[in-house]
Amino acid sequence: MSATAVHQDPTRRGQAVAGWILASPFVVLFLVFTAGPVLASLGMSFTDMRSTDLRHPFSVEFVGLANYVDLVQDPLFRKVTFNTLLYLVLGVPLTMGIALAVAVGLNGLSRSRGFFRVGFYLPVVTSIVAVSVVWKYILRDQGGLLNAALGWVGINGPAWLDSTSTALPSLVVMAAWRNFGTLMVIFLAGLQTVPREQVEAAEVDGASGWSRFRYITLPALRPVLLFGAVITGIGYLQFFEEAFVMTKGGPLDSTRSVTFFAFDQFGYGNYGYAAAASYLLFLAIVLLTFFQFRVLRTKD
Amino acid sequence: MKRTTITLVGLATAASLAFTACGRDDDAGAGGEAQSTAIADGKAKGTIEVWAMGTEGEKLGDFVEEFEDANPDADVKVTAVPWEAAHDKISNAIAAGEGPDVSLIGTTWMGEFAEAGGLMPTPEGLVDEADFFPGAWQSTEVGGTSYGVPWYVETRVLYYRSDLAKKAGWDQAPTSWDDLKQFAEDLKSKGGAKYGLNLQPGQTGSWQSYLPFAWTDGATLTNDDGTEYTIDSPEMAEALDYYTSYFDDGLSMTRTLDPGELESGFADGSIGSFISGPWHAGLVEDAGVDESDYAVAPLPGKDDGMGTSFVGGGDLAVFKDTDNADGAWKFVQWLSEPDVQQEFYDEVGDLPAVQASWDTGELSTDPQLKVFGEQLKDAQSPPSVPTWEQVAASIDGLVEQASRGDLSGEDAVKQMQSEAKSIGTGL
Repeated sequence: MSATAVHQDPTRRGQAVAGWILASPFVVLFLVFTAGPVLASLGMSFTDMRSTDLRHPFSVEFVGLANYVDLVQDPLFRKVTFNTLLYLVLGVPLTMGIALAVAVGLNGLSRSRGFFRVGFYLPVVTSIVAVSVVWKYILRDQGGLLNAALGWVGINGPAWLDSTSTALPSLVVMAAWRNFGTLMVIFLAGLQTVPREQVEAAEVDGASGWSRFRYITLPALRPVLLFGAVITGIGYLQFFEEAFVMTKGGPLDSTRSVTFFAFDQFGYGNYGYAAAASYLLFLAIVLLTFFQFRVLRTKD
Repeated sequence: MKRTTITLVGLATAASLAFTACGRDDDAGAGGEAQSTAIADGKAKGTIEVWAMGTEGEKLGDFVEEFEDANPDADVKVTAVPWEAAHDKISNAIAAGEGPDVSLIGTTWMGEFAEAGGLMPTPEGLVDEADFFPGAWQSTEVGGTSYGVPWYVETRVLYYRSDLAKKAGWDQAPTSWDDLKQFAEDLKSKGGAKYGLNLQPGQTGSWQSYLPFAWTDGATLTNDDGTEYTIDSPEMAEALDYYTSYFDDGLSMTRTLDPGELESGFADGSIGSFISGPWHAGLVEDAGVDESDYAVAPLPGKDDGMGTSFVGGGDLAVFKDTDNADGAWKFVQWLSEPDVQQEFYDEVGDLPAVQASWDTGELSTDPQLKVFGEQLKDAQSPPSVPTWEQVAASIDGLVEQASRGDLSGEDAVKQMQSEAKSIGTGL
């Protein structure tokens, strides 16, 4: 191989061959373990494959778009889609808002910034399951930390995770608390790129703090905000573990997400149906990302 | 951009066309399959690979020495598989045709694995069906064919704080639905419990709490040959209304309990009674309930006598791809001999599926165990259909809605029927 690489007078063709040879281990692995399964699952979503067909996977019936049609008509799938969108619409602005506020606050600090940065980032690197279990105790009806605290000021707190109206928002708050650390670090880095001269010039011209933030800092942060919105959106569309550990999708499916639905369907052995649900989610992620790029990209 | 889209669409079409190479042929799987021919007499030979989960997997390896002594040419190799991974591991083994010879199979999985064509029908005359508890044998039958032999069982009974019951004026356990209601009310009003009888208000597994009431009332989930669901019946609705009345009357907690909450509530007297399986005896004693302060009793019948409970546990099945069917079935046969079943109980604590094992030893003298033995005579398995897990999840959801008062029993069972119907039996 190296002989090819140090060839005296390499033609383009020879270089291409060498390149492919060098890349072949990765290409083969990628085709077999990534592209293959992805395409197979896409194919599976057009069949009525069930777990009981495992011995004869090619003897299943081709059903065209029937799985997708059934999904759109499935009341439970509609419900989980609504839950997931609600989670997204509540969660992304909340997480980004907290992250931006904390980042701007920390940016103004000269001392102990590192300490706070580590503190706020800790939940991100903590195991989601551990975090969920702890929050479950915080949100407990009887003897939960939150309701005990509310009790001191005379408020009788509800059973947060046992009511269809408060369970999902509770999970959103927890997710925001857990995920804002990542965005905060990214936004902090972004804040370093805000041109100081402009801020100082604006200050001299008598612009208020809010105007400086609104007209100088925010536009400079636009690409960073876009990045933050995209990764948070993709993450929140796939929310699963929190609900899985804390509420099992309940009460009355109010915290069941699209991913959870697909997970259940795979568990029931409805492989075709589950694959179709996964591809609808994939489509939603593509559309959301596209939409965010349209809205937030830098206007030249 | 355009070109890649075209390529992708082309690839996807190719992939989906590959799947359409040939349609489904209905020869594989369960339903109307004949039992295998009887195995030959004589001793077992060759290697017999066995998968078992949990404690059974850990203990079985040493336990089989006796079998190997009796069959010198046979060599039993036991692999312990964790319960969490077992379902997928068995699925994969069936798909690949590369499995063990014998495996322990959870009773609710029988339908799926038999339908996948992975399990061998039980040979004629291997064991006598009448030796086993009827509900346990029911779990091995898929589409009218038996695909294994029950190994161990568990069933659900009423656990109650006998000291609180005495305080409330109950010297013995209730024996009818009206009694049970009164019992729960008295435990609350006179016995000092906050909740008289804890039932599960929905969420995963609540079907196991609700169905015993429906069975007690005479409801059936499917017709005799298991081809159609018969959930929409007045008995199912009546049982569900009775079940949910405990939440309406404040006799049971309306939210799902956190792990450990039930045991600690039972220990401090805030929960007067609950319904569960044999494992809970150890759990409540660990939580600090004195052995003399609680008792178990069979589930009450609707008007009198004993009700019908749920039976779960494990079956032993032989894989279709086994290359030692003779040895494998002989091993299964040996494990279902009454004295072997009893020895295994002594070793592991699994309740024997063979009724004769209950006539001697600790199982026949221990008052608590006798209750379980009694209840097992009247206990049912859920239908052994491949789609059961999904139907069960839908029942769970509707039990939850009824428990919250969003649906009447009648409407809930109507919806259970329509959801079950659209899921189908998968056979």
